[in-house]
Amino acid sequence: MSIDAIPIHVINPLPTEPGLTGNALPLLREISEMLRRLLETGETAAIDLSALPLTPIDLDWLREKLGEGEIAVTLQANGESTLNETACPGVWWVTHHNENGAVTSQFIEVSFVPELVKAHPQDVTVGWEHLELLISDL
Amino acid sequence: MQGPLIDNLVRQGVSRRTFLKYCATLASMMALPPTAGRAMAEAMAAARRPSVIWLPFQECTGCTESITRSHSPTIEGMIFDMISLDYQETLMAAAGFQAEEARHQAMKENAGKYLLIVDGSIPLGQDGAFSCTAGRSNLETLKEAAEGAAAIVAMGSCASFGGIPKANPNPTGAVSVSDIIKDKPIVNIPGCPPIPVVMTGVLAHYLTFGTLPELDEKGRPKSFYGETIHDRCYRRPFYDQGKFAKTFDDEGARNGWCLFELGCKGPVTHNACATTKWNGGTSWPVESGHGCLGCSEPDFWDAGGFYKALSMPADPLKFVAVAAVAGAAVGVGVSLANRGKKSSAKAAHETTTLADLEK
Repeated sequence: MSIDAIPIHVINPLPTEPGLTGNALPLLREISEMLRRLLETGETAAIDLSALPLTPIDLDWLREKLGEGEIAVTLQANGESTLNETACPGVWWVTHHNENGAVTSQFIEVSFVPELVKAHPQDVTVGWEHLELLISDL
Repeated sequence: MQGPLIDNLVRQGVSRRTFLKYCATLASMMALPPTAGRAMAEAMAAARRPSVIWLPFQECTGCTESITRSHSPTIEGMIFDMISLDYQETLMAAAGFQAEEARHQAMKENAGKYLLIVDGSIPLGQDGAFSCTAGRSNLETLKEAAEGAAAIVAMGSCASFGGIPKANPNPTGAVSVSDIIKDKPIVNIPGCPPIPVVMTGVLAHYLTFGTLPELDEKGRPKSFYGETIHDRCYRRPFYDQGKFAKTFDDEGARNGWCLFELGCKGPVTHNACATTKWNGGTSWPVESGHGCLGCSEPDFWDAGGFYKALSMPADPLKFVAVAAVAGAAVGVGVSLANRGKKSSAKAAHETTTLADLEK
């Protein structure tokens, strides 16, 4: 009997691709749990990707699994930031760059709208005053 | 300029989102929960600026370079502007009598409230004659300035632990700030030089909460020095898999494997290089292919050779074979075993050689 004939079910197979550590897979379950909480209680959550032992290849793997969504937000503030919805609505991939283009921090945010996209009431007030002034000058 | 910090930032053209983004990154670097950025931004936006006196002693100005030479204008630099830096010999325009006068005035006006930053060690030999400013020894100046300080920040390994001036045979009798001052809260920010954002983080914490951050047993902020370089190293998975570079130009080195056997002091060095990186997030020593020197630990200069391995995993050959079969579980087991070795090596601050482990 050849060894191939023995049925083997591999649980948690060793990562085959070089650089893949297997540390990214558990994150998918964590994100799934976060989505459940978002739907049930509206509670938002985030995962700090730079705080975890992930290789660039792990990050690529995770990114590929989560896929591309419909919305991509670009923020120009002290370097570019991208807030991209993944193929799972409510899961956002947030990357902050500095002026040199280097990644300074990276998060997965689970929320209906990412925090940074919302306008601050104080800024809205300033904008409103500006608009009122503009109208009164016309 | 006594208004809330956010007004000052807005005046300098920094939008709220820019500030929020910065705080999110800072919170990440300080190992705070990812959602803490917003809370921090709100508290810091309303903070008022404290008076800071910076005394350089027996030092090379590398710490000042590290803080001030970041490409400008960064928010980090701006937050640094938000403090009232009332005395810094290298940066201030005033010199001689005027400079000393400014320091005395700031010390008088803000008695009990100012933050004192010290870089460089303090020589005690020859009655402190090795390093003097305005005809007074560093020891005298430090004692006087510490008297009215709310807290002291020891910037860099020299001020924190004595650093290179204290290296054997310590010709000047150099000591750290905490060797002299015993009755004030002292934050050590070691590193040769220290990471600029750690300084900003401590300032941000002071501005946000009005207190100093939580410190470890060596007086270092836990948020930046709580974990070792090794714990947060992106090459750590290779250590767990038993994949090591044996020389600086072998296949392992080219594949970016663990530099442990080439003398990396990552496992016994507490610092944040692995997460904050250097030069505006460009890279850091291990990413550039060189092991960690351990510059943020006491007496790193005398710790027994930069290229000597701390210890070797038990029978590396066997380890690789086993790891290939059983994978991560074994990796974790060995890593735990090494953690034990790591802490004992750390406690004794001695290098463990291959011969030691074979006994």
